[in-house]
Amino acid sequence: MAIEDMYGRSDEEYYNGGYDDEYEDDYDHDPEPESDDDLSCGKAPSCRVIRKESLLAAQKEDLQRVVDLLSLKVHHARTLLIHYQWDVDKVFAIFVERGKEKLYAEAGVTLEEKAEKPASDPSIEVTCEICFEDFPAEQTTLMECDHRFCNDCWTEYFIVKINDGKSRRITCMAQKCKTICDEGKIRDLVTAKDPNLAEKFNRFILESYIEDNKRVKWCPSVPHCGNAIRVEDDEYCEVECACGKQFCFNCLCELHAPCSCVMWDLWLKKCDDEAPTVTWLSEKTKHCPKCHKIVEKDGGCNLVQCICGQPFCWLCGEATGLEHTWNSISGHTCGRYKESHLKSEDSVEDYWRLTHYYRRYKAHIDSLKIEASESKPKILDKVCSLEAKEFLQLKDFSWAMSGFYRLALSRRVVANSYPFAYHYFGDLFANEITKEERGIKQNLFEDQQQQLETNIERLSMFLEEPFANYPEDKLMETRMKIITLSTVTDDLCKKLYECIDSDLLVPLQQTTHTIARYRSKGVEKASEL
Amino acid sequence: MQASRARLFKEYKEVQREKTADPDIQLVCDDSNIFKWTALIKGPSETPYDGGVFQLAFSVPEQYPLQPPQVRFLTKIFHPNVHFKTGEICLDILKNAWSPAWTLQSVCRAIIALMAHPEPDSPLNCDSGNLLRSGDIRGFQSMARMYTRLAAMPKKG
Repeated sequence: MAIEDMYGRSDEEYYNGGYDDEYEDDYDHDPEPESDDDLSCGKAPSCRVIRKESLLAAQKEDLQRVVDLLSLKVHHARTLLIHYQWDVDKVFAIFVERGKEKLYAEAGVTLEEKAEKPASDPSIEVTCEICFEDFPAEQTTLMECDHRFCNDCWTEYFIVKINDGKSRRITCMAQKCKTICDEGKIRDLVTAKDPNLAEKFNRFILESYIEDNKRVKWCPSVPHCGNAIRVEDDEYCEVECACGKQFCFNCLCELHAPCSCVMWDLWLKKCDDEAPTVTWLSEKTKHCPKCHKIVEKDGGCNLVQCICGQPFCWLCGEATGLEHTWNSISGHTCGRYKESHLKSEDSVEDYWRLTHYYRRYKAHIDSLKIEASESKPKILDKVCSLEAKEFLQLKDFSWAMSGFYRLALSRRVVANSYPFAYHYFGDLFANEITKEERGIKQNLFEDQQQQLETNIERLSMFLEEPFANYPEDKLMETRMKIITLSTVTDDLCKKLYECIDSDLLVPLQQTTHTIARYRSKGVEKASEL
Repeated sequence: MQASRARLFKEYKEVQREKTADPDIQLVCDDSNIFKWTALIKGPSETPYDGGVFQLAFSVPEQYPLQPPQVRFLTKIFHPNVHFKTGEICLDILKNAWSPAWTLQSVCRAIIALMAHPEPDSPLNCDSGNLLRSGDIRGFQSMARMYTRLAAMPKKG
């Protein structure tokens, strides 16, 4: 068979045989048979775009579930969900395991179902405990926690809190009262004084669904497109926003699979041009252990509190409680020295390793850019001129562009496999894998990587050929080569992912290195809500 | 600004009226500036601060009572949550747990409570915090006692 000759030059057999019959004639009409592990292709979309207009609708479902189960008012359900980061299952779990009271108390929800209070008789004067003035009851507002203050003091207080960015968790003004104020009352009071700010408040409350929610994230496009993306099940995936921005959902960085987010982060710190920013961030900030927002300490002691309310230790970054006692250290021993599992590497050798991997990574990324800016229009030209030739028997030229897209997808995979290899076969897992084991795995991995790389270069070479001017038989031959090579690279990408996932990452004890699943069709486009 | 002034004025009147209500706290407003106050507080009994009189300086922001006052010790004190050099106090109600319902008087009471119940896990004075964290209560108490004697007690004779 001719195909054997195309790739199997000399003794290097870089692709798996057996494509001869399957893909010979009708690649375009019959895309590759979907294998079982490629679930995302046939199923309902696993990510959605949330636009400004659909934000309210997006959270309605979650709110309604909580409202129905606990028979609450909507604003109470929202307070609960804001506190529990929109994790409905967690709300239900706490409800079942620890009871309603505990669930509400932690989130600052107070349910008062008292009858008319004597104080609400408008003729009675009450003293506001903030400004110490007397007011008729009608000029005061009572919160659900039974604390009453004058409307002016409430309003001023709300304005300060909203401007401080604390709209989502405005507690009652009374000392040590942790009840979250009724958003309706806040809205009414603030609207009377400053309608624009009330508008902002509404937005902040709504946007909690994005900012405090593990399953929803803002699109990282710059300038910002205004959209957010919600994933339905797996956070470790790569998505494309409606604005066209492609990113890793978990870490919001550019596409980096099959390199894990942690590795990518380390890689950027080593190689990124914006190193000063990254250094500044890593020196001056820490991630909140609850909501993972970046926190900067602006003074005071080392017990810091994130805007979400979570206290944590600035020294070790671990979550702590707010309560302290005379001499007990509540679960807090960060002063004790733990041997770091990341030993500092011999810097000279590390430098050469890094250079090796970085050069190859960079070469592929550069090729990717050049191919996108220069080869793509050339291929389009060729397709156009071919379509113009009416005497050809072949009418469908979509294989050229399919080949080009396959090339771009595979290039990214092979490029990102270098930062992966740099970290995996470096000292990142030194205490988990023995040197010997590492050597075996490295051979296995590099074999796969090399096969992929070789086929990618061949695909690239054939796509560069001036096939528009070829006679028909030679054109058919080139077409065949491109189609087969596309299939082979796709398959090799899948295999590389499998190798990384099941042979290299799964055996590890550290579970933080999850990678997005391989999708033959490329990054999933988020569908409309 | 008007609101803060009015409220401080009310607090001033309240302090004048209840001068004898709390013998441990003596709050005085600056003659010319209602945003500057000082307080003399007595060290709580059964603590190493017993018998000492500590001076606090209050600096009240214009957004008071929506923003907390800045308070620091003018008298030197050996305490995990007080900066040994500047007198800065690390107390939740003076930072993120502030509520407008606190008054200068009740802040003083909270500071007295902090003197009796230090929080060694969030130390501004690490030496003091470490003594407590390592369980050396006696070492801590004798240091605190010494500084109380040196700085917070009237010299005899």
